[in-house]
Amino acid sequence: MESERVYEVFARKQRQDRFQHVGTVTAPNRNLARVYAWQTYDEDKWFEMVVAPRDSFSAVNLFRFPFTVNESDLG
Amino acid sequence: MNRFTNEELMRKVQEGFIVESEEDMTDDYKKALIVQLTVQGDTELISAPAYFMAARDAPSANTMVSAVAIIQDELGHANIAYRLLEDLGVDRRWLLYEREPAKFKHPYGFDQPLENWAELVTANALYDRAGITLLGDVHRNTSYGPLKRGLAKVAMEENFHLRHGEVWIRRLAEAGSAGKDAVQRALDWMFPMGVEWFGMPDDRKHHNAQLDYRLKGMTNDQLRQTWLRAVVPLCEELGYDVPARSNSDTGEVELLYELPCQYDPEQRRWLFDETLTWKQVFDRWKQRGPMNQQYVESVRRSRFDVERLLAA
Repeated sequence: MESERVYEVFARKQRQDRFQHVGTVTAPNRNLARVYAWQTYDEDKWFEMVVAPRDSFSAVNLFRFPFTVNESDLG
Repeated sequence: MNRFTNEELMRKVQEGFIVESEEDMTDDYKKALIVQLTVQGDTELISAPAYFMAARDAPSANTMVSAVAIIQDELGHANIAYRLLEDLGVDRRWLLYEREPAKFKHPYGFDQPLENWAELVTANALYDRAGITLLGDVHRNTSYGPLKRGLAKVAMEENFHLRHGEVWIRRLAEAGSAGKDAVQRALDWMFPMGVEWFGMPDDRKHHNAQLDYRLKGMTNDQLRQTWLRAVVPLCEELGYDVPARSNSDTGEVELLYELPCQYDPEQRRWLFDETLTWKQVFDRWKQRGPMNQQYVESVRRSRFDVERLLAA
């Protein structure tokens, strides 16, 4: 059984827009995370949506949850 | 070690400070936030089986599509609240699949059967209006950043549910006779349910952590009045009877019965002469209504089937 991970969901409405953080989903793998994100955050007709596992993010200046989940970031 | 004391945090959030992570919280703040998010998540979740029960009575393919779209939104909203809870260390599996059904925190109104299309659209008009009233206030005022952002989607979609309800109760009012009667019968038991949804009046409730920590902006009575001011004039315009009237001097809507009073879930009837204490109302809520078990079961009954297939 694959364990669930948290994925961060980013989207933008139009091609010139910046990405905005629209929410999170949990999923057992990347492909289901894509499906769950698209189904859950369907409040707009997004031009582009991406997902990434929360633990793939590294904090740059502010070392706290949710983006400081990698111990190594705290160095 | 908390960064702030309760008093410091209360002062800061009243001045506009936005809490972004647990480090910014106190234990009391976190406790109040968890209660609020649990009520929110449970309400959205249990609205889904309640609406689905009535959606099976949808009169056409188009109406079935709108009803199911609403149910899908509600499940998405529940997921947002439960995800925020999970980030606060609450076990989502326990929340969804292991809690006693009676421990769910949704309003008593969603423990009742919704038996036909008229009841579904009346629920959209009254209960989704209550949802917007409560969550709109949280969206505007909450000191918790992740919730404020999460509610942007919720607010957009709840408006659609509300419009769905209002358009349909208008349509059935205009049709008259049996259609209008069906909505009236629904209003007879659902309107007081909506009034009770907002909880104890302000003069009975002296301390409110959600207000102190700015997890919401308006008091119970202010929220109830906002709901009444939207619902009652619409019912009056459409020729439906509800036990409330607008006072033209004060601009307030006044109830024509003593709150709170007893409800008979078997007969689906309010006993307006049988007044209660709020303690008795809380007891009724805690005992839950007739559909509590069935609704909770219906969202979890197949949960472990796929896990077993994958583990085999």
